[in-house]
This record gives sequence, C-alpha cells and structure tokens, in this order.
Amino acid sequence: MSLAAEAFVSQIAAAEPWPENATLYQPLKEDQILLSDSASSLAVQTFLRMCGLPVLVSCRANAEYMSPSGKVPFIQVGNQVVSELGPIVQFTKAKGHSLSDGLDDVQRAEMKAYMELVNNMLLTAELYIQWCDDYTATEISRPRYSSPYSWPLNHILAYQKQWEVRRKMNVIGWSGKSLEQVYEDVSQCCQALSQRLGTQPYFFNKQPTELDALVFGHLFTILTTQLTNDELAEKVKSYTNLLSFCHRIEHTYFKEQDRESQSGSSRHSKGSLP
Amino acid sequence: MYFNKNLLWVKVLSWRCALGCCCMHTNMAEPMELLCWGGDWDLPSVHSDSLIVLAYAKFSGAKLAVKSIDWTWRTITASVPQLHYEGSTVTEPAQILNFLRKQAEMKLYIQLYLLSATKSKMTPTCQKKIKTRITELEKGSPPCRFNADYELTAKQGADTMAYIALLEEKLRPALLHTFWVDAENYVNLTRPWFTSHSPFPLNFFVPGRQASLALSRILLTKAESPLLNITEVEGKIYSEAKECLNLLSHRLGNFHFFFGDTPTSLDAFVFGHIAPLIKAPLPSGQLQKHLNQLDNLCQFCNTILKNYFTDASAEKRMDCSLTAPHDPVDANLQKLTQLVNKESNLIEKMDDNLRSSPQHRHETKPSARASERNSPLLSKH
Repeated sequence: MSLAAEAFVSQIAAAEPWPENATLYQPLKEDQILLSDSASSLAVQTFLRMCGLPVLVSCRANAEYMSPSGKVPFIQVGNQVVSELGPIVQFTKAKGHSLSDGLDDVQRAEMKAYMELVNNMLLTAELYIQWCDDYTATEISRPRYSSPYSWPLNHILAYQKQWEVRRKMNVIGWSGKSLEQVYEDVSQCCQALSQRLGTQPYFFNKQPTELDALVFGHLFTILTTQLTNDELAEKVKSYTNLLSFCHRIEHTYFKEQDRESQSGSSRHSKGSLP
Repeated sequence: MYFNKNLLWVKVLSWRCALGCCCMHTNMAEPMELLCWGGDWDLPSVHSDSLIVLAYAKFSGAKLAVKSIDWTWRTITASVPQLHYEGSTVTEPAQILNFLRKQAEMKLYIQLYLLSATKSKMTPTCQKKIKTRITELEKGSPPCRFNADYELTAKQGADTMAYIALLEEKLRPALLHTFWVDAENYVNLTRPWFTSHSPFPLNFFVPGRQASLALSRILLTKAESPLLNITEVEGKIYSEAKECLNLLSHRLGNFHFFFGDTPTSLDAFVFGHIAPLIKAPLPSGQLQKHLNQLDNLCQFCNTILKNYFTDASAEKRMDCSLTAPHDPVDANLQKLTQLVNKESNLIEKMDDNLRSSPQHRHETKPSARASERNSPLLSKH
C-alpha cells in the first residue's frame, strides 16, 4: 500500500470501534500451514489477545492469495483488510489500542530493533529450514503446502514457492550457509533474546508489548512443531528463561485454547509445550 | 606429570607469542591483508561493508594491510571486503569482525597465561580454563558472536545484534536505492565513479551488475510479491529508513559512541552505513537531507573520521595500542591489568562452577600440589 493510502485507511480505522466479528485468516491448521506462517499467525493472535481484542480464527486454503500483501496472516476488521504484524499494530494503534505507549523513545528504538532481529534471524532461519533444506522441503514443506490442490497444480505451486524463497535467500546471502550455521544463528538470536529478557517477566518489565507477542509466536511454534529432527527445538530449549517466558504467556493468554487443543492435537503440532 | 606438561606449554606459548609479536611488529611474516574498494569524498572507502571492517580494525588496533581492488580484475571476481591471513580467506563484514576479535582475544589469553605462569597470581583451575580457551580459539570452534566485545555487558552485546539487524532491514534497502537505483544519483555519481575505478573491459559491466543486484535485493525483500514494482516500494523504504535514522539518533543521544566512551562493533556498523550517505555529493538525496538534520549522527561520523582515519592521530594512538612495537611490557601490562580484573571475575565464576561439578573435584587436588612446585621453578626461566 502506498503511504497516502495507508494514511487514509488509518483515518477510517480511527472512526470505528473494534467490531465483534473481526476475523483472522490463515492457511489450514491441520494439513497446510507451515512453521513460518504458523509462527506469524500465532504472534498476531497473541498480540490481539494482549490488547484484549476479540478475533475469530478462520482457516482457508487460499489465505495467502486473499491477503493484500501475499503474506499470512491477515485480519479483516469491518471493511478493512490488514496483513502482517507491523501494519496490524499500526492499525490497532489507530483504533486506540496500543501496548507500547508507556515506552520512551530509547525503549521504543530498542523494541523495534529486537523485532527486526527476530524477523531477520528467526523468521529467515525458519524459511531456510523449510524450503532450502532439501530433506525438509521434500518430506514436509512441499507436501503440506500443496495439500489442498490436485495434480498438477500442487507440484507447480509448491515448486514456485520454493523457487521464490530460494531466490530471496540468494539475494540476502543466506544461500551459502549450511544447516549447522543456520542453527548456530538461531542459537545466537535466542541467546541475545535471553540476555535481554534476563529475569524480567516481559521484555519491557511489567507490561507485555508487541515484541513479547512476536517472540512468543516464534518460540512456541518452534518448540511445538515436529520437523525432521529436533535440533531447532533443542537450541531454544537450552535457554531456560525463554522457556518459562513461553509457559507464562501460554498460561496467561491461552488457557481456554489450551484445553481445547489438547483433545485434538495433530501429527504436525504437538499442541502444548513439553 | 602435571608440572612437566605446564612447563612445556609455557615454553611453547612464549615462543609462539614472541614469534607472533615479531610478525606483528616487523610485518615480515604475513600480515592480515584486506581487499576493499578505494576511497573518495574524504572517506577511506566508498563501500559500506569495507568501511565497517576498516573502522573496526582501527578501533581494535589490529594492523591490516589494506589493498584496494580498484583498477584490477578483482572488481568483478572478488566479493568485497575480503580478509586474507595465513592462507585462509574470510568474507562478509560480520565474519571478518569475528575473526579480528578472535585474533585479539587469542593474543590476550596467551599473554594472560604467560603472566599468570610467571607471576602465579591465578589458581591452577583458572590457568586450565585459559588453556582450554586458547585451544578452542586455535581450533576455530567459537562461532560468530557479536557479544564477544570484552568491554560490553551481555545485554549490550544483545543490543548490538538487535541494532545491526535493524540497520540491515530498514536502512540498507534505502541506501542501495539511493546509490544504485535512483536514476539521477546512479547516472551522475555512482556509475561514473565505479566506471572510472574499474579496468578497461570491466567498466562496462561492473556498475550495471551491482545495480541489478541492488534492485533485485530491494524487490525480493521489500516488495509485495504479486506486484514487484519499484515505485510502490520507494515510499515505503524511504519512510522506514528515516524512522531507522531517527531511532539511531535517539539511541545515541549526546554520547560519543553507542556504548559509552569507547567504540565497539555497533559503532563500526553504523559508521559504515551512514558515512557514505553523509559524505557523498549526491544530486538527489532526500535521505541525505534527513540525515543532515540529525546533528548527533553527523557529529558521530566526523568524530570517527577525525580520530581514527587521519594520519596524525593514527600515530598518536599507536603508542597505546596493544600491538605497539616499542614498550610492549608496560603498555600491555596496563591494559592487561584492567582486563585481568574483569576476566578474573569471569574466571572466578567459571572456577566456582568448575569446583562444584563432581568430575573435576579429584583433578584439582594433584594440580594444586603441582603448582606449588611450579612457581619457584618457573621464576628461574
């Protein structure tokens, strides 16, 4: 969206309160959704719960194509459709709900920097593991991504997506990395997050912010998703304060969903934290 | 058995250290060689990544033989910056910084060990820890860590990583656009400069190749995939870059450097990114205008240029750097005593952990006895 259109949308957004039937769209949870999309979707859901805004989660096979920016998740609120955590945070701010109002300029700079760190390292590592590691791509990513479609569309779409992601990795310089280096990068990122969190309950002391939502989304998904091997989850588990951080947010914001999901957990997702 | 081993180890180390010092001082053996783009507009290099490495080398006092790739075939074959040392090659600024830090750390640990062996101020378990650390560094096992700047706390190290990610995500696309995609700047400044600094047939290819790489990077990372149109992305990347610059300015505040009074790797990264933007004579530079309004960032850049990149100040600083050729003992000792205090806290902590772990309990007893015999023997050497 261009800047003028964004400003216009936020003006309209400010006019109406948050409706009851706001919906979040993501790919099919059981069969289609992949690690990176699941992480982003959980981050948005956590953020909205932290703001106390109700949202219904709707799973659609073509969620990616419905989204205005091509990325999931996206929310539909009234007449507007907004995708990705950054724009959603701005949108909710225009509606008058914000988690980071209490931060001063330096803290806000830090928060944005850490959010970029998570996006730069964790999200890129997730994409790399899913699409650039041949074994994972063949066993998990391609079959899952193309599961709603019939032959030959499923092959075409899966390979197209893989090609797109590999091009992106090439351009940012990650295509030369080995899997071990990527795991090491994830470990470093977790170490930085762990050091920043320290013994505090949230990253900016008492109040949760969008950074907490984002970190929770990614870490929880990594810990509860079964990939070809458990190395990624092991890297995260070695930082105990991050584990307790995830437990805490899960118990505070996801108590009811936890009880429901335990009865119907899929092969892919392990449901709740170990 | 233990004291024999220790003795031999000390001899080997002191020989190696002396040789290393010799190499550093006389530059007779291979010094570290850095390949980078040449300089212009008051800067040692016009290329962001090369500037990062050059700045960090100056901050840490590492001696680099800088070789510019201008007018050579390397303009199209090499990925710049590139560090050559003893047959191995390191690329990417982050990896190079890590390598320089590792070299400095190794030297420091060797000197610490020697000092501790001769002056016997440290417990044997501390010495053992230092020894393991040296072997680890030699094997090259510790991976790239930004929080290994030993003057920084753990939280500051984490902040370094976060701010570097911010720079890469928000500022770099706009910088690439300003220099390589914006038509006016590209045609009037960037392309002529790179064309004039490349050898004959390559001057037709080098700028075009860099420009297409820059464009594809911006489109693939920032543009929404069904559209892939550069004009729609421009507004977004410039507004993000301006926000990033504001954030950096807020974080820097009134200080000279980002973490107190001494420059660190974050300062090198920020300098590498903003210096070309400040100094280049861009015909159409909305980002440059925005940056010029942020006084503290301009001041930061000029301070670094003045203190680290002019010849007069470089000589003044050499006297107190770790690799000073004359007065090695006194200057080293001063810096080392400061660091030993910091390190010994770390080592004491590690020591406690080590003492509390069951498998090391019976190992400490014989070496404790051995070290008492160690010191009188070593002091003779």
